[in-house]
Amino acid sequence: MEKMSRVTTALGGSVLTGRTMHCHLDAPANAISVCRDAAQVVVAGRSIFKIYAIEEEQFVEKLNLRVGRKPSLNLSCADVVWHQMDENLLATAATNGVVVTWNLGRPSRNKQDQLFTEHKRTVNKVCFHPTEAHVLLSGSQDGFMKCFDLRRKDSVSTFSGQSESVRDVQFSIRDYFTFASTFENGNVQLWDIRRPDRCERMFTAHNGPVFCCDWHPEDRGWLATGGRDKMVKVWDMATHRAKEVHCVQTIASVARVKWRPECRHHLATCSMMVDHNVYVWDVRRPFVPAAMFEEHRDVTTGIAWRHPHDPSFLLSGSKDSTLYQHLFRDASQPVERANPEGLCYGLFGDLAFAAKESLVATESGRKPYAGDRRHPIFFKRKLDPAEPFAGLASSALNVFEIEPGSGSMSWFVDTAERYALAGRPLAELCDHNAKVARELGRNQVAQTWTMLRIIYCSPGLVPTTNLNHSMGKGSSCGLPLMNSFNLKDMAPGLGSETRLDRSKGDTRSDTVLLDSSATLITNEDNEETEGSDVPTDYLLGDVEGEDDELYLLDPEHAHSEEPEYVLPQEAFPLRHEIVDTPPGPEHLQDKADSPHVSGSEADAASLVPVDSSFSLISVSHALCDSRLPPDFFSALVCDMLRFYAEQGDVQMAVSVLIVLGERVRKDIDEQTQEHWYTSYIDLLQRFCLWNVSNQVVKLSTSRAISCLNQASTTLHVNCSHCKRPMSSRGWVCDRCRRCASMCAVCHHVVKGLFVWCQGCSHGGHLQHIMKWLEGSSHCPAGCGHLCEYS
Amino acid sequence: MFVARSIAADHKDLIHDVSFDFHGRRMATCSSDQSVKVWDKSESGEWHCTASWKTHSGSVWRVTWAHPEFGQVLASCSFDRTAAVWEEIVGESNDKLRGQSHWVKRTTLVDSRTSVTDVKFAPKHMGLMLATCSADGIVRIYEAPDVMNLSQWSLQHEISCKLSCSCISWNPSSSRAHAPMIAVGSDDSSPNAMAKVQIFEYNENTRKYAKAETLLTVTDPVHDIAFAPNLGRSFHILAIATKDVRIFTLKPVRKELTSSGGPTKFEIHIVAQFDNHNSQVWRVSWNITGTVLASSGDDGCVRLWKANYMDNWKCTGILKGNGSPVNGSSQQGNSNPSVGSNIPSLQNSLNGSSAGRNGKRAPFPLPQRRLTSPKIHQQPAYY
Repeated sequence: MEKMSRVTTALGGSVLTGRTMHCHLDAPANAISVCRDAAQVVVAGRSIFKIYAIEEEQFVEKLNLRVGRKPSLNLSCADVVWHQMDENLLATAATNGVVVTWNLGRPSRNKQDQLFTEHKRTVNKVCFHPTEAHVLLSGSQDGFMKCFDLRRKDSVSTFSGQSESVRDVQFSIRDYFTFASTFENGNVQLWDIRRPDRCERMFTAHNGPVFCCDWHPEDRGWLATGGRDKMVKVWDMATHRAKEVHCVQTIASVARVKWRPECRHHLATCSMMVDHNVYVWDVRRPFVPAAMFEEHRDVTTGIAWRHPHDPSFLLSGSKDSTLYQHLFRDASQPVERANPEGLCYGLFGDLAFAAKESLVATESGRKPYAGDRRHPIFFKRKLDPAEPFAGLASSALNVFEIEPGSGSMSWFVDTAERYALAGRPLAELCDHNAKVARELGRNQVAQTWTMLRIIYCSPGLVPTTNLNHSMGKGSSCGLPLMNSFNLKDMAPGLGSETRLDRSKGDTRSDTVLLDSSATLITNEDNEETEGSDVPTDYLLGDVEGEDDELYLLDPEHAHSEEPEYVLPQEAFPLRHEIVDTPPGPEHLQDKADSPHVSGSEADAASLVPVDSSFSLISVSHALCDSRLPPDFFSALVCDMLRFYAEQGDVQMAVSVLIVLGERVRKDIDEQTQEHWYTSYIDLLQRFCLWNVSNQVVKLSTSRAISCLNQASTTLHVNCSHCKRPMSSRGWVCDRCRRCASMCAVCHHVVKGLFVWCQGCSHGGHLQHIMKWLEGSSHCPAGCGHLCEYS
Repeated sequence: MFVARSIAADHKDLIHDVSFDFHGRRMATCSSDQSVKVWDKSESGEWHCTASWKTHSGSVWRVTWAHPEFGQVLASCSFDRTAAVWEEIVGESNDKLRGQSHWVKRTTLVDSRTSVTDVKFAPKHMGLMLATCSADGIVRIYEAPDVMNLSQWSLQHEISCKLSCSCISWNPSSSRAHAPMIAVGSDDSSPNAMAKVQIFEYNENTRKYAKAETLLTVTDPVHDIAFAPNLGRSFHILAIATKDVRIFTLKPVRKELTSSGGPTKFEIHIVAQFDNHNSQVWRVSWNITGTVLASSGDDGCVRLWKANYMDNWKCTGILKGNGSPVNGSSQQGNSNPSVGSNIPSLQNSLNGSSAGRNGKRAPFPLPQRRLTSPKIHQQPAYY
């Protein structure tokens, strides 16, 4: 406090003010040092030695100490230090080994005071005693440290570190007689200035050279060291053995380290190469710098806090020939930009989520588990570097596992595994796949398969059981086509009262569907439905509509309307309510929502329920009886496939593509098909469905796909008889002219899965070998080998 | 319905990224503590840390898996201005490291002069390629010409974005019709209202990446960007995490219509924009089919977004980061099993015209109501 007041006086009663500013130097700086009045800074380098006044808005050059006609090597400074007690006293370390002191109070232009030429090599560091006016310490590349008394012509004492070059020397701020020195071999030594014979303490601090050290301004025992190993370490020297209390890992070798005034845990560092930034670290959060100054374009060589009691001004000099004053509040804060969360969607729909604990801190009384380090004190997101530390940041990692059946991807795996894609008549494939889809609760897809079956197969082949099955479920799902089936079946009995009533109900539900289908038809192709009140026209439109429903309506029916249809099925009386409700206005309103449809058209459609029901019947008949050519639908089927693909269900697109084969393939361009195939195969492989993926590759007609199976797999096979490598790719061995892949059990040629023992190369059908091995562990071929199968 | 499984990650600083591998059975996390951890899922579904090692000398921002065809390979990027490629070595376990796998550094990519903020492997069909982006606004694309040699990577492209980059995303489409494409987001926070998302496309003729599009409407810092898995779609879906969640669709305009040789023109639509996080959104991630988007924000919640058939995106769930339930969060909490997850979900389709059309059915309870039932989030917590 005493010092502080003095500073205030020195500054004429004003507090330190300033802004982030810089000035250009004539040459690269090697070191800077601040006068104790915090109003001047000295910059020293190989060819620069100047004093600048730090004004509010700018640096002003005050004095050039580099005088004389021919520059002497004595002026090539590696380091400079301004005495903290005497404003007129400076010392520099020259690259030629000379230590020079400067007295600004000298009247002449040349302020050079004393010259100590005792070191044999470059002097890396000079340091004044913090409280003693005349004591100067130097550390040199030659491995010696010397203590000078400025009142005498030569050194008072010489300290031999006995371990390579000295990189830094620093008087302890609190212990009058102690100084620390750092060495290129990674050692740090502690000396008593009265005992030059040997060091008090020595320890290895870093791996590689220790470039710098700094005593903590308040904490008596703390020494920070920085080395080429990119680390800053804080040592507690008060204990018997030097103890590492903090370790900060920076991204480049540490050239300078300076504790930040008034902030117990902060220190500033700059690097010797690669990295041009100045960082301020909180040693308690050793991984992320608290602040970062990015102004310099070349290596920063000197850093100094402007005033020993002011934490906000940092001065830095650089090889880029600039001198900067950084304002702490202008610093960029990497913590701010650091992403506090990680999120990833898993394959089956599970989510991994890592978040900063403060963000997810529990308000609810969830029981913390043992070792839970969640404390509500982490709430503050912005970590103000000037403030006391809020605590170590840590993240909570959670995996949200999706429960089976609720949006997990198990449906995909099941579908992929159970679909039949080939090997049976189309009708059976479609029926099978429809059944699979239905069992997995995917009614829309099931519906599509049924439709495909109807479109491409003759109706006589429809197994009645299956139809009934689909009717039972289908109508409960309220899917349009099923209702039409219902109607078709009931058509003969339309005359009877009860049936009529029933069909009316169905007709009702159909009306809704129909009009929406009409809507969407209009969306699709306007010409078709124009004047749709004419029944004949409508018939045609409706045929389209059935398919349109497939890819336009189904999603909504399957989901939004579905539950509502479940209810009417059980409660017939309610239907009358529906019938009574005038559909008109709502319809109009809702049609107005969709821009493509004119209200009148839709209205017309909905106002002719009976007509449409009959038309439906006729449609069904038309479908079944009048044998529209399947080509008629192919455009629609293609659209449907595209719809599925755009919806993200490439499985459906590819499966249908394979099942229908030639029927639709020509209508979809090769590139799109290939795209679907690759996407689906990739997806199958993600789920490790290798067999399915192989089958898909095999069944694909696209050349680019089918060659996938032939690439980058080489099998080296030996003939099971002559034991020679099979050179040709056929079944028969070139040499012994016998078929190579005979089953050792049944003596037939194996097609399909062939297992063999790698020891004797005998093998056969998987089932046969498995069966054989249950009884015997010897080779079934009788070669006597104890076969091993993995 | 989700069950939260808390994992004691034991990272010593913030975790910045989590990443599942291709098959979803391994997970990698990276943290400011300069380490990467690899987690393997056991038979019982628990996650075990099988490797943890120091990867960088600065915060590790991102970690990402390569396609397993190239081996068990990870890439990481860091504040220390490097990106690194790691490979797992098998068969060298000794007693001391039982149950721990061994990862070796195959390469360090040192071209950046500033923090490398994102790293992503290109889609497999492009070969073994890697893109990085850095705070100095340069996207770099590397290729390993020999996929068996992970230590040789050549810098193929350097794309200057003029803005500090924060995230990149490859377009995953495997279609030949879609040229390789990469979207870059910037978290530049300077007040100038520049567009923060740029999309670059590879041009076969010039063999260079050229800017195809700029999303002019995105002017706030972007923290994450993600193309949805393409799965045979003819268009692309792009999610952006900025001060809100945004979803764009990019429909390529047919090539014949545009002048050949130039970059593909896109019809760009913003299909959704949600500020429900009420704060910065940090991450977006798509499910495997590109139908559900998960986003996480400063509110500590994960929100799930899904489109109905009308392309109407709606929130379908909220997950609190600590696993505690959020009121109103509903994970398809309906009992109806017929709702497949690939198709628009029940509650979504209740808006828009379909709801209107069914308006006359109001006497029936809307299925929506069921969603507020209390049984939605039971939280068995496993530790």
